[in-house]
Amino acid sequence: MNLPGPLLVSAADITRIYGEGEAAVRALDGVTVGFPKGRFTAIMGPSGSGKSTLMHILAGLDRPTSGSVVLDDVEITKLDDRRLTELRRERVGFVFQSFNLLPVLDARENIVLPLSIAGKRPDAEWLDKLIATVGLGDRLDHRPSELSGGQQQRVAVARALASKPAVVFADEPTGNLDSKSSAELLELLRRSVDEFGQTVIMVTHDPTAASYADRLLVLADGRIVHDGEANTAEDVLDLMKAVG
Amino acid sequence: MRKVALRGLFARKLRLVLTALAVALGVTLIAGTYVFTDTINRSFDRIFAESAKGTDASVTPAKAIDTSDNGGTQPTIPVSVLRQVRAQDDVQSADGSVFDVGTVLGKDGKRIGQGGAPNFIASVADQPRFDAFTVKQGRKPRTPDEVTIDASTARKQKFELGDKIAVVATAPRKDYTIVGFTQIAGVDSFGGATVVDMQLPEAQRMLGKTGFDQIQVAAKPGVTPEELRDELRSELSRSVEVRTGQEEARKQSSDIRDNLGFLTTALLVFAGISLFVGAFIIFNTFSITVTQRMREFALLRTLGASRSQVMRSVITEGLTIGAFGSIVGLALGVLVAGGLRALFKAVGVDLPSEGNVIASRTIIVSLVVGTVVTLLSSLAPALRATRVPPVEALREGAVPSAHGPSRKVTVAGVLLGAVGIGLMCIGLFGSLSDNAALSLMGGGALATFLGVALTSPYLVRPLASLVGRPFERTRGITGRLARENTIRLPGRTAVTAAALMVGVTLVTFVSIFASGIRETIAKAVDDNLTAAFVVQNTDGFSPFSARVLPTIARVDGVSEVSAVRFSQARVQGVEGETPVSGIEPATFTRLYRVSEGAAAMRALRDGQTVISKDFADKEKIEAGQTLQVTTPVGRRLSLRVAGIADDKGDMTTSLTVTNDQMLSAFGEPKDAFGMVRLEPGANEPQVQAQMSRVLERQFPEAEVLTADEFKDNIAGQVNQLLYLIYALLALAIIVSLFGIVNTLVLSISERTRELGLLRAVGTTRRQVKRVVRYEAVITSLIGGVLGIVLGIVLAVLFTRPLDDFTLSIPVPSLVVVLVLAGLAGVGAAILPARRAARLDVLDALAYE
Repeated sequence: MNLPGPLLVSAADITRIYGEGEAAVRALDGVTVGFPKGRFTAIMGPSGSGKSTLMHILAGLDRPTSGSVVLDDVEITKLDDRRLTELRRERVGFVFQSFNLLPVLDARENIVLPLSIAGKRPDAEWLDKLIATVGLGDRLDHRPSELSGGQQQRVAVARALASKPAVVFADEPTGNLDSKSSAELLELLRRSVDEFGQTVIMVTHDPTAASYADRLLVLADGRIVHDGEANTAEDVLDLMKAVG
Repeated sequence: MRKVALRGLFARKLRLVLTALAVALGVTLIAGTYVFTDTINRSFDRIFAESAKGTDASVTPAKAIDTSDNGGTQPTIPVSVLRQVRAQDDVQSADGSVFDVGTVLGKDGKRIGQGGAPNFIASVADQPRFDAFTVKQGRKPRTPDEVTIDASTARKQKFELGDKIAVVATAPRKDYTIVGFTQIAGVDSFGGATVVDMQLPEAQRMLGKTGFDQIQVAAKPGVTPEELRDELRSELSRSVEVRTGQEEARKQSSDIRDNLGFLTTALLVFAGISLFVGAFIIFNTFSITVTQRMREFALLRTLGASRSQVMRSVITEGLTIGAFGSIVGLALGVLVAGGLRALFKAVGVDLPSEGNVIASRTIIVSLVVGTVVTLLSSLAPALRATRVPPVEALREGAVPSAHGPSRKVTVAGVLLGAVGIGLMCIGLFGSLSDNAALSLMGGGALATFLGVALTSPYLVRPLASLVGRPFERTRGITGRLARENTIRLPGRTAVTAAALMVGVTLVTFVSIFASGIRETIAKAVDDNLTAAFVVQNTDGFSPFSARVLPTIARVDGVSEVSAVRFSQARVQGVEGETPVSGIEPATFTRLYRVSEGAAAMRALRDGQTVISKDFADKEKIEAGQTLQVTTPVGRRLSLRVAGIADDKGDMTTSLTVTNDQMLSAFGEPKDAFGMVRLEPGANEPQVQAQMSRVLERQFPEAEVLTADEFKDNIAGQVNQLLYLIYALLALAIIVSLFGIVNTLVLSISERTRELGLLRAVGTTRRQVKRVVRYEAVITSLIGGVLGIVLGIVLAVLFTRPLDDFTLSIPVPSLVVVLVLAGLAGVGAAILPARRAARLDVLDALAYE
């Protein structure tokens, strides 16, 4: 598939092997893929297909055994821990499946956490806009334990967007949510792409979630087996059945 | 998965080691103390047994009161007794001997003996069989100008045969020629003391004795030592005691044992403090691990395990750690004792022993105490483990919830603290025997510590805000996270901090106490001493020859001198022994100011006594009454109370008599303290220099100090003791640091996910370390603040009943203590911080 616009994240021939010798497992097997700016990509695939490994490597959380990754013009596979940490802090936003928030900080503190860590002052205007978008105005002083699962995930999205990162990685963000909260969260991610021009890469196994994306990548056995438009949930489901 | 399992095992191994160490250090001190003192005791047993081999019976003066611990001079045996002994049928031979404290000068002209090791002057026996000291090199003294010295002193001071050595005691300084080096029981040193042997008449002259300290007797063939003893006992007067040679040896070593008993007790008290702190840590560690393993216990319960089985599994862990820690402690204790011995040897105390004495008592006490302490500390957490409902296994999230401090526990804590303070008050203000009072105060302090520890979860939040705020201000998010982390489980932080609090409280307490003592003495000197100079023994406490002050009185510019002596007496109707001071009525009150009773002191005569106000109040004695007194030499006296004195400087004691009476009735020929007044207009520095020169030439055992020098001298002695106590308390503080390490390591393993998240969103390893470090510092500062406050409270409370005690709070020292507590936190954080920073982001985030 031909992709419009410049590539924000690109991986060239990445392989990731866990273990050694006979026990070695090839989690990724020569994957080459690019992600253009301002698009919402969903990565799917059965368990053990390598989708999470791909995301971790793209985000600089893991290193490939071979191959290269360029994120926002930076070759990240050779960076040392300090540089990688800085890169994650400044150019990457994360939304995990659960346990996204520090229990000792309230919602607002959690949202600005990456900025606090960097020792930066949050852009007040942007923050207000963000808080309005995620719809948490009255719960900002609450700690995570006082928020519902859906609210916690929305705080996590706000946190991921707070530092205006180049790319947001979401790892099964709706994995622990009911369908209503899931829909709200996915809508939020969608709006971040449409309204703020955010680039989002999401790993999921939920076809409905994938249907919110612009593009769908399907992995199986460490290779990309499908790369195309994400259509309705039914189409995705059929596709997944075909991949098996 | 295997990686996770291995890591878990390592975490547990580390925990095991840290927890076991918390017990082990206390046990180390217990075992080390026992091994060390047992070894010393056995050494002296051997020395005395060996040196008494040739003696069948020994005659010594009977002592009504043993004043030797207080530097008092012992009575002697009259020469007539020796004639009487020699006249007995079963006696083959008998010799009198003297052995007493003197001063021996090294080549530098200063008293020999590091760390206050004593100097002795002994007489050489005519018959070799009675000689305790045998000549190793050279020969015995043949003239009054020759001496032998122990080979160890000779080696340390680099004395050669033929060298001159200066000795002084009651007689003025005399330089002797060294003609031999001696050994005792085959070793070069008599427990580190310096011993000079000289001919009997010369030794008697030097020590100012006309009689003997001991008569050694040999039996005719066929007569057993016991028969000889019984015969002598029936023949000799009651003023002497008769023992067989071996009985005498046992008595001598048991006297030394009694003196060491104080050291043993003191060391064991500090071992107890360390164990007490260790108990906090064990309790905390078990509480944390039980909480972390709630699901595991719940699962066991679901699978049909009974409550007692769950309980047993926790207790077994406690037993294992306790036993392991105790064994490690015992082994370390033996090493420490060996190290102490090497240290003693290095400073010249060459103890004759083949190796450490490890008594079965040492092993049993060490193992039992260590294990029982651990077991008791793990009991409460074990009980909590049994209360886990099986349904807990099905619940999500293994992270313990942050529940507030329990009301029941807090009430118990407040009660316990109140009871503790109450006990201490009873101990302090109640009229109890010393031992009962001390036990009450010790128990009270223990209860107070526990009470504060139980109540402190409430204090953690405000204190964390207080000490954590600077971190938050200056360090932003890392400081904020650190502070939040310390208060998320206040109970855990409270116990961790309380362990440190114990050590800091005691450090604070003793430094306030010591500073008070220094101030009080300085004030007493300033307020009461009107003399220009004081004279004392160079060791700071021993009495000195009565010829010193008359010698000084002859120095140009000196107007008058006044001597003070000390002894003890048993007063009819008064429990225990009563301290007695002797004064020169004519001069004392001119050189020293007493608030009341100066006139009575001036008019004091033999047969009279002036008693202190405290003694009069306590024993309800009034002026004009007559006291029946028994002196150390066994004399019975009637002393009329001529007056009641109020001496705010505590120079004089409960009873005060004349120095004439001190000599004639109490048998105390030496002065303990001298005061010197100058002629008006005399040049103080010049006169002092002249006095010092005279003393150096004739009585180098004594020194002349100005009031300021005297104050410094006493402050120095107080500080020396203070530093020793600090060193021993350091152990308890080290143990509490293990507690901080342990708590942090366990908390970090609980917060793995949070750390993973922090790292994922861009926290650097350095920042993660910082969070952990600040958390440790905040925790230790909480302990430091609690400890300092409690220490001040206890010090104020304890010093209340002391009359005229100047309470002075050494603020700079306490600031240093607080800073050190913070630094200790930094140290404790090193390992946990490294572990937290090393965490792999992906592993930490891994959610199955």
